[in-house]
Amino acid sequence: MPWYLYLALKQLFPSGRRYPFFTLISILGVALGVALLVISISVMGGFGHEIRRMIVDTQGEVQVKARGFIQEPAALQSLLARVPGVAATTAYAEGVAMLEHDRKPAFPAVQGIDLNHVNDVIPLRRFVRLGSLDNLDDDSVILSSQLAISLGARLGSMVELYSPLLLEKLKNDEVMLPRELTVVGIFEVGHQQLDSSVVIVTLRTMQDLYGLGRGVHGVNVKIAEGEDPDRVARRINEALPPDGNVEARSWIDANQDFLFVLQLEKNMIFFLLTFIIIVAAFSVASSLLIAVVRKTREIGLLGALGGKPRQVAACFCFQGFFIGVAGTVVGLVLGFTMLHFRNDMIRVFTQLTGSEEVLTRFYQFSRLPAYTAPTDIALIIACTIVISTLAGLLPAWRAARLKPVEALRSE
Amino acid sequence: MAAPVLTARNLTKTYLSGISQRLQVLRDVSLTVAAGESVSIRGESGSGKSTLINLLAGLDAPDAGTLDWGGSPASVDRRADYLGIVFQSFYLIPEMDALANVLMAARIRGPIGSAERARARDLLGKVGLGERATHLPSQLSGGERQRVALARALMNGPKLVLADEPTGNLDEHTGDAVIELLLSLCRDTRTALVLVTHNAAHAAKCDRPLNLHEGVLG
Ligand SMILES: Nc1ncnc2c1ncn2[C@@H]1O[C@H](COP(=O)(O)OP(=O)(O)OP(=O)(O)O)[C@@H](O)[C@H]1O
Ligand SMILES: [Mg+2]
Repeated sequence: MPWYLYLALKQLFPSGRRYPFFTLISILGVALGVALLVISISVMGGFGHEIRRMIVDTQGEVQVKARGFIQEPAALQSLLARVPGVAATTAYAEGVAMLEHDRKPAFPAVQGIDLNHVNDVIPLRRFVRLGSLDNLDDDSVILSSQLAISLGARLGSMVELYSPLLLEKLKNDEVMLPRELTVVGIFEVGHQQLDSSVVIVTLRTMQDLYGLGRGVHGVNVKIAEGEDPDRVARRINEALPPDGNVEARSWIDANQDFLFVLQLEKNMIFFLLTFIIIVAAFSVASSLLIAVVRKTREIGLLGALGGKPRQVAACFCFQGFFIGVAGTVVGLVLGFTMLHFRNDMIRVFTQLTGSEEVLTRFYQFSRLPAYTAPTDIALIIACTIVISTLAGLLPAWRAARLKPVEALRSE
Repeated sequence: MAAPVLTARNLTKTYLSGISQRLQVLRDVSLTVAAGESVSIRGESGSGKSTLINLLAGLDAPDAGTLDWGGSPASVDRRADYLGIVFQSFYLIPEMDALANVLMAARIRGPIGSAERARARDLLGKVGLGERATHLPSQLSGGERQRVALARALMNGPKLVLADEPTGNLDEHTGDAVIELLLSLCRDTRTALVLVTHNAAHAAKCDRPLNLHEGVLG
């Protein structure tokens, strides 16, 4: 081992000292920054991941939509089925309606689904927590969980659905009765917004309510394993008639702005939390600078023994580097450990403060998600090590500038 | 006859003090030291003894004059091999035990192995600190620390040891012992020695006692 690395290690871990406080505290400072970065970025990543999954799970990976509505969904679907990369399709109609139960009104978004095909595209069955998707027919409805609670509806309850068509008829002095539906299922996606304001009916029911005839609003597409949603969407658009009435968009494209905001939030968090590491690096730099001043005479002696200025510099740079590496390792361990126990920690916290209800009500998810992208971790590691090594640079430069004679003469 | 261990010719050193004040510390100092020879230099405080030692060690550059080590010009790169230096202060590295401090001289020169470790232990034994190899400088007395510094100066088997008031921080009795040790070690290994001291008795023990007065060595 070169002498300057040996000396650096000795200064980090002096012989005969059980606890090298300077080193431990410096490492801990960096580690806390790294842990915080890892946790925040992972939780942000988790939210992002969850949201993306939810979009895909509820919309399919590609949506084909018409300006108005699609008159002949069957023809479109058979056309889509021939596009390479398309695995399955299902037609839907959607809209807002008024729902009433027990004189309590609600205005949910209504999804009309094609029972024959929906399960090929959207894992709806997974989200039905009570009752069953199989019981859904033209006279029944599946409510989202929060909506069911707020209406006081349960399995077997009757609800009334008023369509906008009602108003139109009313203008012509006609009367149309609301549709009576039986609740046959309760679903929960785990996303607050969806769970509080969506109801599912059959496509037929929706077509009746909106007077669509056989038309639909769009077709959800599931793509084959390993295909890229954007590429499949492009292929579909090429296969579609060029009148431009119907257009395919991947979920990535359709939610562009939203995904951009998600990414922006994550980048901002990363940027801000990096300052914790920079602050830690400042304290490392100042400790090392103090060490250089305190050890001026020893540094002079190293010169007298034949040590070169750049080797002396390397000695101090390495100390910054070492603290960076050790801080990163400890920080990663700390961060991942806390991530692993995050839900237990939150549970303990909410139990102590009795705020469990509030948490799920105001946050979008019932459990704290986490997803750690390897590229984020690589970035955190690189940033930390570079910043800490830079922290060693100023002291190193100070030390290298010392001339042996002057250093030895200093009091 | 072999080339002298050290040949200094017409060394001159002037310090600028203040804006225009010039202080000529050394004028035309010439000194030749033969292999194994011991030379002592005495002089009043401020007469330039440390300045001369620094020049001889190549730690500082003279304004004029030349310096040869063993027949070829002195250079920074040769210092670790050629010279051992002892100062009034011991300059031991506080984070390392005695053995590691002695070995530091060898580490700076190049990679070390078991031969170097054995030599360092042996030298610590010779300075009477064989049992204290794992002690830190803070656990040693002043005299013991200076003996570690002696062992460190001799670690690389130098041809010449330069000692600048090595007993300056020690009491009389301890100082005598350190000088005895230094002289006998140099004699045993046929290492030349330039010893700066205030002590007349120590100076007299060297082969050639010199005096530095008003910048002139004689
Ligand atoms: N870097 C410097 N700048 C200005 N003057 C200096 C410098 N170094 C030494 N001097 C002066 O040069 C003179 C000789 O100093 P030096 O340290 O060589 O004396 P010395 O003989 O070793 O004294 P002592 O016996 O007290 O150690 C002193 O007057 C000192 O003030
Ligand atoms: Mg002096």
